[in-house]
Amino acid sequence: MSEKPHLLLVDDERSIREPLAQYLSRNGFRVTAVESAAEARVRLNANAIDLVILDIMMPGEDGLSLCRHIRETSEIPVILLTARSEETDRIVGLEMGADDYVLKPFSPRELVARIKVIFRRVATGGQRVTAPDGSTYAFAGWLLKTQERVLVDQEGVALPLSTAEYNLMLAFATRPNQVLSRDQLLDITQGREANAFDRAIDNQISRLRKKIEPDPKNPTLIKTVWGGGYTLSADVRKL
Amino acid sequence: MKRLRLWPQSLVGQIIILVAIALFVAQAINFGLLLRERNRLTLTAQTAPGVYRIVDALDSRGEPPERDRPPRARFLDRAPVLTGEHRPDVERRAMVMFADVGLPVRSVQVVEQDHAMPLRRWERVRMRAMGDLRDGPRVARLTMAAEYAPGKWVVTQSRMGDRPPRFGGWLIWQTLILYAIVLLPLLWVGRRLARPLGQLTRSAQQFARTGSADPVEERGPGDVRQLTTAFNAMRSRIFAMLDEKDRMLGAIGHDLRTPLASLRVRAESVEDEGERARMSQTIDEMNRMLEDILSLARAGRSTEAAQKVDLAALADAVVEDFVELGSPATMADSDRAVASVRPQQIRRALRNLIENAIVYGDRAHVSVVREDGAIRLAVADDGPGIAEDRMEEMMEPFTRMEGSRNRETGGAGLGLALVRAIMAEHGGALKLANRPGGGLEASLVLPAS
Repeated sequence: MSEKPHLLLVDDERSIREPLAQYLSRNGFRVTAVESAAEARVRLNANAIDLVILDIMMPGEDGLSLCRHIRETSEIPVILLTARSEETDRIVGLEMGADDYVLKPFSPRELVARIKVIFRRVATGGQRVTAPDGSTYAFAGWLLKTQERVLVDQEGVALPLSTAEYNLMLAFATRPNQVLSRDQLLDITQGREANAFDRAIDNQISRLRKKIEPDPKNPTLIKTVWGGGYTLSADVRKL
Repeated sequence: MKRLRLWPQSLVGQIIILVAIALFVAQAINFGLLLRERNRLTLTAQTAPGVYRIVDALDSRGEPPERDRPPRARFLDRAPVLTGEHRPDVERRAMVMFADVGLPVRSVQVVEQDHAMPLRRWERVRMRAMGDLRDGPRVARLTMAAEYAPGKWVVTQSRMGDRPPRFGGWLIWQTLILYAIVLLPLLWVGRRLARPLGQLTRSAQQFARTGSADPVEERGPGDVRQLTTAFNAMRSRIFAMLDEKDRMLGAIGHDLRTPLASLRVRAESVEDEGERARMSQTIDEMNRMLEDILSLARAGRSTEAAQKVDLAALADAVVEDFVELGSPATMADSDRAVASVRPQQIRRALRNLIENAIVYGDRAHVSVVREDGAIRLAVADDGPGIAEDRMEEMMEPFTRMEGSRNRETGGAGLGLALVRAIMAEHGGALKLANRPGGGLEASLVLPAS
């Protein structure tokens, strides 16, 4: 992308829309700010929009409905802004095809970081991680439940995961039998480049192995690939 | 006072027991009266033959005895010496009977002898035919002597009729039949009464436990049906109120978060970096308080489903999140401890305790222990602890510890109140205790599955 990416900001609250548009402009984006879904539809047809930032609660057509419309007609990434923290909202939003969501009040820096993650994924031809929330992955007798961030063992007992463990597990579960380097894992799980804290991934891997491997010293599920990284050696079914 | 175990606690049980006792008492009184009447009749039947013979003998005195019949009575000129069991009851009855027929008898002596009196032949045949040979033939005979004039006695003997069969068994049978006739329908009515009451109880208990309850089917007798109708109406009113509360909280949350979000965005345009950081910190703080207030207000209305969770793994994951952020939290090696809980809620409760431990007690050390039927998630710190008399108070909403060193704003004081609400929802408890070595230990105690 040689030009500045073009963002469409849709929020009925002027007190958020205007300063946020300013902030995003200062941070290297071209921003079109509108206050309703109807207006957003017009802009989507008229302009080449690279990403939509969408408030869920709006008078008239709400954000979820517009999000569904965007997903049906194009591949433009969507970030949802939501003021409610109930889990149902998040899941519904992600099922509507949103790429990410941000809870109000949010740090504008974090929003920019997330926008960049999405653009990087689009640029590298990465797949959209659709609906990570509310789905279940089954592998080798284990279930990974994304909504609750737990692994369920054969006895039906849930083992809760830390944020880092969960991100790593999800990265493996969505890419079974692929060799993932430390850099890739860091990028997928934390959206950052590898740096001196490279060992973080190895620590998390060993924690995960303790949880799911029958013999953590002799891993059969999360295998180390010499010179390459790690791979989840199991067939994964998405339930 | 501990009640007798035989006494039933249920309404129907008590009614049935009362009716059964009343029936039994009525039966016993009835039986007593019957027995008295029967004894009177028996006495008359025993006395009558002797009396007739004496009357007959006195009437036919002087007539020549019939040849083919043995004399039925002997006349004596002195008081007879009678051996055998003295029967004053028969004597009294005989005196009354003599008076009734107008015979002036001065006194009567009656004895009963158990042996003697040969059986008539046909009787012997009958007894043998019946196979009834216990103790041989035992028919008693009554000897009655009457003083019909001073010093003049007439003595006669008569056989006593067979003793009437005892009728205790008859009482038992009659009572049982009565019970069947009265108690079975009563049981039926009682169950009809008890079932809707039981459903009401279950529904109310379910409501207390889970915050939701099914409406109760309206049936049974009229007044119970009315109660059910009233209960269902109350239930829907409570639900409407709770839904209204949730809607209101949602609206408040939304309306407060929008200006906060606006402030948060604007704060980024502040030039001074220190000022900017402080502003966003304050906004985050406000947001956290808002979050706590909303969570506490929603406590008990969780939509999350309970599932079997390894609490050791849960504690480990929560601690790991703190460690990732560089917070001084540690986790002791703990064995698998499975309980049925709502994992997000327990995560939240444990997070609150660990945050408190770090803020007020410099570090958090988490351990998970199984102790008879319960699982304890303990968070120990190195702080000053809490004065014993303030412990209860600390768990109330909006109470804050004074002298918080590390933080200017100590939050809204909702952390422990929220933990306690989450524990109450799980049938567990929040326990606070000062550690012997110094510092506070806050534990979540949950029932194990």
